[in-house]
Amino acid sequence: MKKYVAKRILTAAFTLLVILLVLFILMQLMPGSPFNDEKLNDSQRAMLYAKYGLDQPIYIQFFRYVGNMLHGDLGVSYKISRNTPISQLIQTRLPISLFIGGFAVSIGAVAGLILGLIAALKHDTIWDSIATVISVIGVSVPSYVFALALSYTLGFRLQWFPMLYTVQKSMGSSVLPSISLSMFTMASIARFTRTEMIEVLGSDYMLLAESKGISGFSLIFRHALRNALIPIITVLAPLVVDLMTGSLVVEKIFAIPGVGSLLVNAIQSNDYNVVISLSFIYSALYIIIMLVVDILYGIIDPRIRLAKKGD
Amino acid sequence: MRKEKLAVALLTVSALALGLVGFGTAASAEALPTDLNIMLETPVESLDPQIATDGTSFEVIADFTDGLMQMDADGQAVEALAETYDISEDGLTYTFHLRDASWSNGDPVTAADFVFAWQRAVDPDVASEYSYMLSDIGQVVNAAEIIAGEKDKSELGVTAVDDKTLEVKLNVPVSYFLSLMYFPTFYPVNQAFYESVGDTFGTSPDTILSNGAFIMDSYEPATTAFHLTKNDSYWDADRVQLSGLNYQVIQDSQQALMSYQAGTLDTTLVNGEQVDQVKEDPEFQTIGAGYLWYVSPNMAGVPELANVNIRLAMSQAINRVSITEDVLKDGSIPTYTAVPLQFSAGPDGSDFSADQEKYTDVCADNAENAATLWAAGLEELGISELSLDMVVDADDAPQKVAQVLKEQWETTLPGLTVNIVVEPKKQRVEDMQNGDFQLGLTRWGPDYADPMTYLGMWITDNNNNYGLWSNADYDAIIAECTTGDLCTDPEGRWARMYDAEKIVMDEAVIYPLYTQANAEMMSSKVTGVEFHPVALNRVYKNAVKAE
Amino acid sequence: MDKTAVSAETYVPVDSDFRLKNNADEIALDANFAAQGFWRDVFIRYVRKTSAVIGFFLIVIIGIMAIIGPGMNEYTYSGQELSQKNLAPRIPGIEKTGIFDGSETMSTTTGSKKVNHYEENGLDDVYYWFGSDMFGRDIWTRTWEGARVSLIIAIAAAVIDMLIGMSYGLISGYYGGKTDIIMQRCLEVANGIPRLVVVTLLLLVLQPGMVTIVIALMLTEWIGMSRIARAEMLKLKEQEFVLASRTLGAGSFFIIFKEILPNIIGPIITQVMFSIPTAIFTEAFLSFVGLGIPVPQCSLGSLISEGFNSFTTHPYQIIPPIVVMALLMLSFNLVADGLREALDPKMKEM
Repeated sequence: MKKYVAKRILTAAFTLLVILLVLFILMQLMPGSPFNDEKLNDSQRAMLYAKYGLDQPIYIQFFRYVGNMLHGDLGVSYKISRNTPISQLIQTRLPISLFIGGFAVSIGAVAGLILGLIAALKHDTIWDSIATVISVIGVSVPSYVFALALSYTLGFRLQWFPMLYTVQKSMGSSVLPSISLSMFTMASIARFTRTEMIEVLGSDYMLLAESKGISGFSLIFRHALRNALIPIITVLAPLVVDLMTGSLVVEKIFAIPGVGSLLVNAIQSNDYNVVISLSFIYSALYIIIMLVVDILYGIIDPRIRLAKKGD
Repeated sequence: MRKEKLAVALLTVSALALGLVGFGTAASAEALPTDLNIMLETPVESLDPQIATDGTSFEVIADFTDGLMQMDADGQAVEALAETYDISEDGLTYTFHLRDASWSNGDPVTAADFVFAWQRAVDPDVASEYSYMLSDIGQVVNAAEIIAGEKDKSELGVTAVDDKTLEVKLNVPVSYFLSLMYFPTFYPVNQAFYESVGDTFGTSPDTILSNGAFIMDSYEPATTAFHLTKNDSYWDADRVQLSGLNYQVIQDSQQALMSYQAGTLDTTLVNGEQVDQVKEDPEFQTIGAGYLWYVSPNMAGVPELANVNIRLAMSQAINRVSITEDVLKDGSIPTYTAVPLQFSAGPDGSDFSADQEKYTDVCADNAENAATLWAAGLEELGISELSLDMVVDADDAPQKVAQVLKEQWETTLPGLTVNIVVEPKKQRVEDMQNGDFQLGLTRWGPDYADPMTYLGMWITDNNNNYGLWSNADYDAIIAECTTGDLCTDPEGRWARMYDAEKIVMDEAVIYPLYTQANAEMMSSKVTGVEFHPVALNRVYKNAVKAE
Repeated sequence: MDKTAVSAETYVPVDSDFRLKNNADEIALDANFAAQGFWRDVFIRYVRKTSAVIGFFLIVIIGIMAIIGPGMNEYTYSGQELSQKNLAPRIPGIEKTGIFDGSETMSTTTGSKKVNHYEENGLDDVYYWFGSDMFGRDIWTRTWEGARVSLIIAIAAAVIDMLIGMSYGLISGYYGGKTDIIMQRCLEVANGIPRLVVVTLLLLVLQPGMVTIVIALMLTEWIGMSRIARAEMLKLKEQEFVLASRTLGAGSFFIIFKEILPNIIGPIITQVMFSIPTAIFTEAFLSFVGLGIPVPQCSLGSLISEGFNSFTTHPYQIIPPIVVMALLMLSFNLVADGLREALDPKMKEM
């Protein structure tokens, strides 16, 4: 097991290095430049390129960047906030995005599990249809429409929650953005829970458990849900990363100083270092979470557990 | 069972815990009821006066920094840190006498602070985007050579005669030089402080030094909310009545209006769609923003657009009134001149572009005339159909305007097809600068209160002369007005600039569309906010908010 | 030794030595369980599920409307009539009942008021069934035009990403070993780069338009498909029929595409059905970021993001595209669910 984990970590590191290289190449392909404001002339541009080392061949830029990164230096922003070190730019933004993303995933996972369970237990009844419709509305109405609708009703009309994110009231003002973000997670989790539960409920060992006289709550939560969880986690894991980094639309509406809107701004203004750093953090999060999931499998997989217990 | 729960919890809730780290780091400046709550559409890009380039950053920098001069309510330059000034008879030497003012760390503001800042502005290592304010526009001695790397920055024509006296030497007399002094690129920087904070200058309250009406007390780069408090040691502190400024960046206009209605904002921008909702509200107002929106045809790259009849036809086929009244609805003014309205006052105090009917024969909303010219143009070219691509920014307003333009052109000019190509602004600018476009919808904001900020664009080989138009007569007139004989003759120069504008209009070098205005809500409790189309769009230090 | 004599001269059988056995009455046909093909079985299981059938018909109806809808009135999707902008829905006949009569309640900062722009402007004979947008374009026409564009984009993207993802997954899974490791590392790299970066870049480099959007969607969606194909391949490749085929000398590509592929077509079709709504949704997201279909063309996504801007002023503008989009997503999901259950005999008893 240790050897396996070590090997996985090593390949993950190598993958990340390749991703970084690909990102560098993509930046080169990107049309436009961070320094093409209407008011700049050619010689000023050349000067800026030289100042930031962008006139160097790409492989030199790459190795220099990797070298700096090992010292924890992610470079400076060229456009969004000129000359600001990226680490300073994201140190307050990343926790906010992670918090709202984590909040959204928690809401979505819980609501999705409940919906999925109802749909599976009352399979092919009106409850199933209602749960399906709710979860499909969750995936088919874009989160920005949800966000504005929530803000208008719960924020503006009823004044239950603040309409805009503020650092002072970070808990209360995270509620609306998190709910708007959680819709998609909820719908996906509900769908997968339903499918997996239906399959599990129809399996022989459930029949066995039932015939042993186990019933109700215990049957569903101790026996069925546990087995359904594995595929659900597989779906949940990448969603976690997506939500934590890709909430730009909701960030824009609730004025959240997160990383999603930063990434879009950076892409559209050719702020190379910001794009590379944020993408890299995204990839690293993604790969780490996938790694954790792989290892978690070992913990959750009932076959392994049962073998250990000798049940 | 506990173990699985733990595992799931690990995945989902660890994020939650992670998120909690880093909270509480933000300074929580308490907003007072007499603080003005201001909405911004875009975050601040930089608080370094020599690096900043956008209106939002300028506005905020001016909240906490004063220059030699400032704008009065009408946009005229009046003394700020300069108590008095002398101009030599030949108009080439300006001597500013500084008043007693201090930085927020207690240091006095000295002439050396200006010398340091101005040298930064032209220093190739700093690479200030607005360095041309000192060279091409300000005509400060040696600025151009220093920017080009030919001379050392110490040779810049600005010297600190003593702590309180600053002397500036110019290459040629510049009639609007005093009005440049309120432009943030010319603001002072305290050298000792700058060197103590190094690269982090202007990125947090600790690395920002104030000599102005307010002091920054919470700020992070590209943040969505920040706060400034009144500076009690400001030289003009008696006139500042607000207790502070509370900025909130809101990119979604509907959220902004709801926040305004809920009372969390004292002022906010509204977009065209929302004007219907607010136009009967007494708190609604429209403010000229100075920007000229225009279409630039690529005359060098597209042979058909080299034909002047085709260009004139396209310009006259546009129904500008419909664009401003039916689509934008934010108070923008249809514009039929190459220089937009309401930003440049001449020697007699009148607006350069007050007369919008000066060029009616070549630029008007005249579909009939357009069709005739179009037919003539097509015949000269020997074609019956023409298909053109128009690049536009991926923002809301340009896309709306582009769709209307397409429809107007295609219905008025038979045989014309226009395809809209939407691109992020950075790429659109790049494409236009490389000549890789056919038609481009673009805008230009005035850098200083003189028509030359527009007319200077269309000289041969200028970077922003996207259509690569070239006219020797035009170049000669512009040279005469900027560095030639007319420098010392304001009336003559003014009249001559109309000659230049006429050439641009006669040849339809650009198709002017409208002068942009902003539709805003301003709480009735607030008075005294000053709006300007040039340099500093909003000035708050004279504002009053009733409790 | 007669025997030896007979065996010595080899007998060649001729046709007349054989005759058909008339056994039509003798063969016992299973009357209880009719012998029927797999697909017929699937069909029967599918139609037994009401929700799946409803989903199918919804798709057909929306598909038909996407084809004929834009032609049902005199308006075109791009034709502007600025004097008739922002008109609320008005339908002949129904208008007398008080709904869809062209009036709307505007909530302004100075209080809400009920207005009818048709009457105010004297537009007695003008009807916009779903209302008109800020350029005075007919929302009915644009909604169906948008549905058409969205469907084309989504189906094209889903089919292409199926072809790519499936081949990738099958090949990676079948060969295993080093090939698999390398192909999976490539996939991890491709998956690790944020989609937004890839998609934006692509849309910037290529001319914006339908084809570019399809390519962009395809580039990001094939990964899920390849995962499923690979997992199925790993399940099947050690089975006897594969071994049999290989022993008989079949080539790798024959085995992958002729032997294994037909066995996993079920999960693949289901995945395609699920990836169509994802594609519609992703396109909507691109529209919001400003990288969608170029104006004045429209998709459901771009209509929603246009309607979003007047959400608080003229809410009726966002409703038609949202409803059509929700119905499309719902029906594709229902069909996918139905297909999955119909194709997977394990679930047929449920």
